[in-house]
Amino acid sequence: MTTRVRASTIAAFLGPSVFALALVGIAPLLYGVWKSLHFFNLTKANQQEFVGLANYATVLTDPVFWQSMYRTAVLFFVSVPTQIVLGVGIALLLHRPGLGALRALTRLALVLPMATTYAVVGLLAQVMFNIKYGVINQFLGFAGIAPVNWIGDPVNAYIAVIFWDVWQWTPFVALVMLASLSSVPPEIEEAARLETGRWWTILRHIQLPFLVPGLVAVLILRTADTLKLFDMVFTMTRGGPGSATEFIAILIERTGNRQFDIGLASAQAIILLVLTVFLARAYIRLFYREVR
Amino acid sequence: MKLRNCVSAFAFMALGLAAGSQAASAWSLEEAAKPYAGTTVDVVFLDRPGYNAAKEMLPEFESKTGIKVNITTLPYENALGEQVRDFVAQGDLDAALIDLVWIGNFAENGWIVPADTFTKDPKLADPDLDMNDFFPLVLNAFGGWNGTIYGLPFDNYSGLLFYNKCMLKDAGFDGPPETWADLKDKYGPALTKDGKFAFALQSKRNETQSADSFARMLWPFGGSFLTKDFKSNLNSPESQAGLNFRQDLMKYMPPGIVSYDHAEAVNALAQGDVAMITEWSAFYSTLTNKDTSKIGDCLAIAPEPKGPAGRKPALGGFSLAVATQADDNEKAAAWLMIQWLTSKANAQTYLEKGGVPARQSVYQNADNAKRFTYIPALVESWQDGVPEFRPRFAEWPTITEIVQEWGSKMMLGEVSVEEGAKTIGAKMEEVLQKAGYYDGKKPLAQ
Repeated sequence: MTTRVRASTIAAFLGPSVFALALVGIAPLLYGVWKSLHFFNLTKANQQEFVGLANYATVLTDPVFWQSMYRTAVLFFVSVPTQIVLGVGIALLLHRPGLGALRALTRLALVLPMATTYAVVGLLAQVMFNIKYGVINQFLGFAGIAPVNWIGDPVNAYIAVIFWDVWQWTPFVALVMLASLSSVPPEIEEAARLETGRWWTILRHIQLPFLVPGLVAVLILRTADTLKLFDMVFTMTRGGPGSATEFIAILIERTGNRQFDIGLASAQAIILLVLTVFLARAYIRLFYREVR
Repeated sequence: MKLRNCVSAFAFMALGLAAGSQAASAWSLEEAAKPYAGTTVDVVFLDRPGYNAAKEMLPEFESKTGIKVNITTLPYENALGEQVRDFVAQGDLDAALIDLVWIGNFAENGWIVPADTFTKDPKLADPDLDMNDFFPLVLNAFGGWNGTIYGLPFDNYSGLLFYNKCMLKDAGFDGPPETWADLKDKYGPALTKDGKFAFALQSKRNETQSADSFARMLWPFGGSFLTKDFKSNLNSPESQAGLNFRQDLMKYMPPGIVSYDHAEAVNALAQGDVAMITEWSAFYSTLTNKDTSKIGDCLAIAPEPKGPAGRKPALGGFSLAVATQADDNEKAAAWLMIQWLTSKANAQTYLEKGGVPARQSVYQNADNAKRFTYIPALVESWQDGVPEFRPRFAEWPTITEIVQEWGSKMMLGEVSVEEGAKTIGAKMEEVLQKAGYYDGKKPLAQ
């Protein structure tokens, strides 16, 4: 027997959420789209005019935009797979029976990097990677390695950003994967262990199907996070040296907040949003099919 | 008859003068501020010594006037953006803190009020204001735009050569280099050894790259950003000589100099890792503070070295102006605060609390030159500065981003000096073209 729920009840329950979403999410987004169709520079506010898709044309033909996209893509293709491999590895280690209190302690430790504010991570990194006083070079010195110019060298600065991103977000992947592994029915896993001692076979045929939903969620979240990575890089390198770590979010901030070109920055941000949504849809299509 | 007319005219003048002088002697801050008691003045400050000095002084102003000063302290990097957004949104700020490169932007947008609006008002103008007492270069560069004075110089800098005289003495030098060529060719090789470096030129990719690094090497070599008709001058032989000099000088600087901001350069000198830096006068108090500096009595200060075109030291600093968006009471209260903070009478206090006033009179006190060892170098630098050290027009925020990007790339060797200068020039001209400088829509003011 089904009970018909009145429309007013549905509206009462959903209304506040929809209203809040519209207020803090949809309205600013629409405003951003509208502004992206205008020449709107804060320092020339009286010269505001509708320019159609001109801002989009400027962005899409600007080599600086594509260079930033390239840097962001390289960061994504190096950083996210590394986080997934390390995260799954840590989760598999912690999933082993008999770890007891050690597992609880490790879980707690894994939360710390994630709980640290992005900007603080960048500031810490700036100090730790200091060529003269940084702890990283101190440790390298113990091993007889000469001080490395981390922040002042384009390649090293890029590596440092990847290192910190992996440090901060591998625990997140590990915890999601650990949760996914907990959903594997123990009797199936035990039966599989009786059948074979090969961990790869168990992972491939028993555990992996349960990991896929978590992996898709991780991919979506980490893709969005990587594309909009800003705070840590801004406080650590500010996009430098030169343009070495000028990722797309740093470029948008520079365009909007330093050159005050809100129209152009809005167009860059909308393009980034479209790309993020496209990638999220692609992940769901590609990977979710496997578990259906 | 004639005589009678003359006498009456004279008597009338004398009466006028007496009345004027009575008005002058009658003027007091307390009386002037009475109608504005209870008004709040919102202003942005930075976390730098001059602002901390002002914060210590302002309670006296508040108790004398009943005007409340509400200060928002921001990092330099955010100060422009926050103020621009506030002015566009018609926000709360009643006074504008203006870096000299923001003045064109603020004035052209009508966000600040010309100072003569208040100096002409006998109720608000302190008879002892004495605008002529400000260093003319500083007043015009920091507070003036296109012939109009808007702001009064508040936090005032000139580039100075801070050096470790003990390190120089150990290397066989009696004094600092007089020219940039000497710094590179004589002092550089002698002082770069055992993990120490002769010089650090802060060059981080922000305003530091444009102002402290790029522009600093243009002017002493006879270069500049723009020609008289506002075309790029960066590929002129003089500009190229300066920028190539910077590349050559890098071998006597610590590695990673492109990541050095003010803090890193000052710290390198304070810890004895480099022998010389060219820094703003405002960092004097940091370098003399025993809690933040190990250099102690080895610290010495000189004007920046000369290039083939003269000294042309870095020029920077901030003025305070009244914001147009403030209501009439707030405008008057903001003016009284600005006038009081930058007054001749308060210059000594400001100096002693760590600020750098722009009042000529305070530097005429011989005792001050002995106590604050940067003063002779500072006064000399303000005789030979260039107001357009960085162009002060409204397009500078866009152009500085271009300079920061390509100036850093030059230093890193990612592009040649010539190629980098060509790119900056082309992009800079594109910005100026769009702004209307080439078709006569805007006056060629910088």
